[in-house]
This record gives sequence, C-alpha cells and structure tokens, in this order.
Amino acid sequence: MIKTLTELVETVKAKGTKTRIAVVSAEDSNTLGAVVRAAVEGFILPILLGNPEKIKSLCQVEELPLDESWILPCDNEAEAAAQAVSMIHAGEADVLMKGLIGTDKFLKAVLNKEKGLLPPKAVMSYVCALELPRYHKLLFISDTAVIPFPDLDQKIAMTNYAVKMALSFGIEQPKVALISATEKPGAAFPASLEYAQISKMAERGQIKNCVIDGPLDIFLACDPGSLEIKGVDTPIGGDADVLIFPNIESANSFYKGLMLFAGGELAGLIQGTIAPVVVMSRSESAESKYYCIALSCLMAEDK
Amino acid sequence: MPITKLDQMFEVLASRTKKRLVAAWAVDAHTVVAAAEGVKKGIIEATLVGDEAQIVAVCNQHQIDPNIFTIVQADNDITAANLAVSLINEGKGDFLMKGLLSTDRYMKAILNKETGLMNPGAVLSHVTVIEPPTYHKLLIVGDVAIIPLPDLNQKIAITNYLIKAAKLLGIEKPKVGLVAPSEQVLPKVISSVEASIISKMSHRGQIKDAIVEGPLGMDVIIDKESADIKGLKSEVCGDADCILFPAIEAGNVFYKTMTKFCGAELCAIVMGARVPAVLSSRGDSEQTKLYSIALAAMMA
Repeated sequence: MIKTLTELVETVKAKGTKTRIAVVSAEDSNTLGAVVRAAVEGFILPILLGNPEKIKSLCQVEELPLDESWILPCDNEAEAAAQAVSMIHAGEADVLMKGLIGTDKFLKAVLNKEKGLLPPKAVMSYVCALELPRYHKLLFISDTAVIPFPDLDQKIAMTNYAVKMALSFGIEQPKVALISATEKPGAAFPASLEYAQISKMAERGQIKNCVIDGPLDIFLACDPGSLEIKGVDTPIGGDADVLIFPNIESANSFYKGLMLFAGGELAGLIQGTIAPVVVMSRSESAESKYYCIALSCLMAEDK
Repeated sequence: MPITKLDQMFEVLASRTKKRLVAAWAVDAHTVVAAAEGVKKGIIEATLVGDEAQIVAVCNQHQIDPNIFTIVQADNDITAANLAVSLINEGKGDFLMKGLLSTDRYMKAILNKETGLMNPGAVLSHVTVIEPPTYHKLLIVGDVAIIPLPDLNQKIAITNYLIKAAKLLGIEKPKVGLVAPSEQVLPKVISSVEASIISKMSHRGQIKDAIVEGPLGMDVIIDKESADIKGLKSEVCGDADCILFPAIEAGNVFYKTMTKFCGAELCAIVMGARVPAVLSSRGDSEQTKLYSIALAAMMA
C-alpha cells in the first residue's frame, strides 16, 4: 500500500518502465523542471511538443539536463494539443500533460467530440491525493478543479474515480466520506439528501469496492475523537481515505487551505478520460508537480 | 411485553386507569354499540355528544343502559363535533371518536385553528394496526387514509407516528420498513430516494427509538427468506413492526387486501392531533370499531 507521495514515486520507479508523457506547449519552466526531473530519474519518457528554441533556452536558464530528442517541434498551441491527443489515440503516448497552453484551449482538445479523450457520456472530474503532516495516510479528494456543482450522477462518478485511484494505491475497501457541514441530512443542504442516496447505494452494492457514508463533516470523516463526542456511528470511523465535496468551492478551499497553512503536498489528475491527463496550476509547488507526473504514471499503468 | 394480537390490548387496558372517550354526534347504533362494548369490557368511560332522545332510543333498541354513558346534549352534527372537541380541550376526555357525521365535518372540528385539536405545524395522519394471520406480529402501517401523496416531511412525521404507536403497543425498538419498488436506490423513483434519506436520518438519530430501513420492496420487509436471497442484512427484513407506504393507494390497497383476502383483523386511529381520534367508517366491523377504541385508549 502506498502511504505517502514519496512512496508513490518509489512505486512508479520500481516498476522500471518509462511512461510516455506528451507535454503540450512544453516551453514553460515550471513544467520543464518537473518533467525533466522525472525523466532524469528514469520513470518517464517526455515528448515535449512546442517551440524547440524556447524549450532549449528555458532549460539552459534553469540548468535542466535536457535531452533534445525529447522535443517534438510544433508551431502553435492548438496544433500541439491536437497532435498530443492524437498520439494518445495512436498509442504513441500514455499520458497527456498541459504546459504553457491555456487551460481552455488544452481542454478543448481533450473534450473534442470526434478526436478527444473523453468517451461519450463519461463524466470528467478531478481527483487529488493529499499528503498532510497531521493525517496518518493519504487523503483522496474530489472535485477540486473541474465540476463546479456536481449533480447526483456526477457525485457518483467522482466517488468511483476517487475509489479507483485509492485502489490503485493499494487501499482495500477505501472509506469514502461524503462531506457536508453536518452529519444530519436535511433539505437545507441539498447535497446531503444526495449523500443519503449514495451511501445507501453503496450499502446495496450499487457502488462497489468501498465503504461510503455521508453526510459527514470533516471531523467525523477524519478525526476518530469526534465520533464519541458527537455520538455518531459511522463505518468511516474518522479514518477516511476519500472525501467527496458538495461543490468545487469547498473542495478547492479545503486543499488550498491545507497547502497554505498545513504544509500539505498533493498529486492530482483529471479523471474520466481514456488516458491520464495532467493539468497543474501554476501556484502548485514544484514538488506537487513532480508528484502529479508520478501519479499519472501509476494511473496509466492501471488503466 | 409487546402486544402481538389485538385482543391483548383489552388485558392491558383493563389493568390501567380507564381512558375517557368522547364521541361526536353519537346518535347511530354503530357508534353507541361500540362505545357500550368498550364500557362493558371495562376499558373506557364514554361521553356521547348528540341528541339525547335519539341516543336513548338507540340504547333501548340495543338493550343498552343509557346510564353507562355521560350524555351531552347537542342539536346537530356540527355543534356536536365542536362540543366534543371542546370537551377534550377542557380536559374532560382523553380521545375522540366519530359518530354519524361526515368525515369532513369531523375533521373540520379537529383542524379548526382556534378551537380544534391541532398544534401549529403538526401533521395529521392515519395509523392502521393490522393483525395478519400469517405474520408473527402486528403490522403498524400508514398512511392508508388521509395524506394522498406525502412529501418528505410528511413521511418523516408519519414514520414518527408509526414508531410512537408501536412503542405504545409495547414494542421497545420498532423496526420500520420504508416501501419502494425495490431495495436498490433508484434516483428517478421518489419513494426510493426519500426512503434513502429517511433511513439515513434515522441512522443519524434524527428519528429516534427505532430501526428504520429503506428503500425496501414489500417482499423483503415481511419475508426474511426473500431478504436472504437478495443478500440484504437489515434487521428490519422479515421482522418489520411498521411499514411506511409512499402513497395512499399503496397503503390503502394493502390493508384492504389484508382484510378481504387474508382475513386480517385491524383497527385504526388518526394521530397528530393533541389526542388520538377514532375515524371508523360504517363499513368497519363491530370488532374493528372496538379494537379502534382500544387502540385509541392505548395511545391516549
């Protein structure tokens, strides 16, 4: 079982395979730093789509040991995105990664109905693995980045993606907490009514390979001490592996707050696509970016 | 000891202080005879509100001594209903019973905002207790008669009434099954969705003193074997005390089928007012009426 992000990297390295990562508009120093590091450490083979001169000069400035054979010249961002996506379809790349290109343009290529990477009717979502100094294991959370206000079906999809990722980390029967402000379902919190259904679905075997309970607040999900105080009986038992949030603001604030105030690190990935898609925000630490790449390698393996 | 047969109510009531029935417009034989049976059994005292001459005449026709009743004169059905309700409000009675007047008029007197028997915001609902010959205990079900299509809050209220009734019948921790087409959660089926919510609320202690499970199909609620085949592990399955129906048609068809095809005995009361109210219909047997009086006395 993978318990830390460092162990994630070690696991990926130990596999001895190189995951081929197509980086769209690689002329970005943040991106290059993480990609080159992973390549030098031997667990990925980068395909750097973009402007060769810019890529070379950035690596020079940052003193990154670039291998020029990694570069695949592309004239513009849109072309780079389309080509990278088609390489996934052709089996020439395992993972898609966003570089300097705007998120809008990048996702447009991913979501293109004919040529994109999202199967028809599939829900695209985002799952993060968080490593927190004051929690005893990794915490998988969703959706911090893609779906602003998930409906019931999207929440179920988010849950399944997060569970799948947790399973890839070797966590058997991950414990999923559906997060609200209180553990009591009520009409004042519409998500809590959906949570009651989702946890009942898990109880009935309609969602498999995990234990689900909700609504729960963060304390009941992650702190065994609060169970007794609140007198709530939940199979999550303050030992959650997965947290599903009712909306993007709560999930986003949760992880950013932890990054900022609690010294957390993370690895995140777009889910629902036929191959892992890495989209990192500029504000993330170099370490987190490197972990995102490692995560994509793990999930590409388990595809 | 939980009551498992309706007859057992009489024994329990005989050992308690007699509850006082107030019957509204009790000028028909059905009502007078049922009230007299209750008095003779020693389980209640009865006040009959109605036209005294008519009441005495009915008593004479049925060899009943009118002096076993307290008779309060009222000239017509509406006056009688309001008078009966005000007697309850004055503390001169413990529960209400409908006589010859229409259900509409009877309910109107109960529901009157100033002079009635309702607390603000209370939900009025109907609770039926069935004794099926082929089940090992009583089944307490609702709502088969008053709320056509209960919303979530009404369902929660009905569930609480079922639990309250079960507890007053001596069942310590009633098991409540929430009826839906299947035990699977079907997001497009409202009964299934709301059953999930109510079940979770009970798990969180928002509904107390009971085990509430749903969605469940009718089969798994009353039949352990069906539940085992489906791999359902709830304690409720095959051993339910209470059943919440998602709509009046389902509950209504169920209880009528139980009486007509299965020979089940039953009784019923209205809950949600400050006191229980008997709402028997002319189609009910004498036995059902007496059981309903006993049930109301148990709940009062």
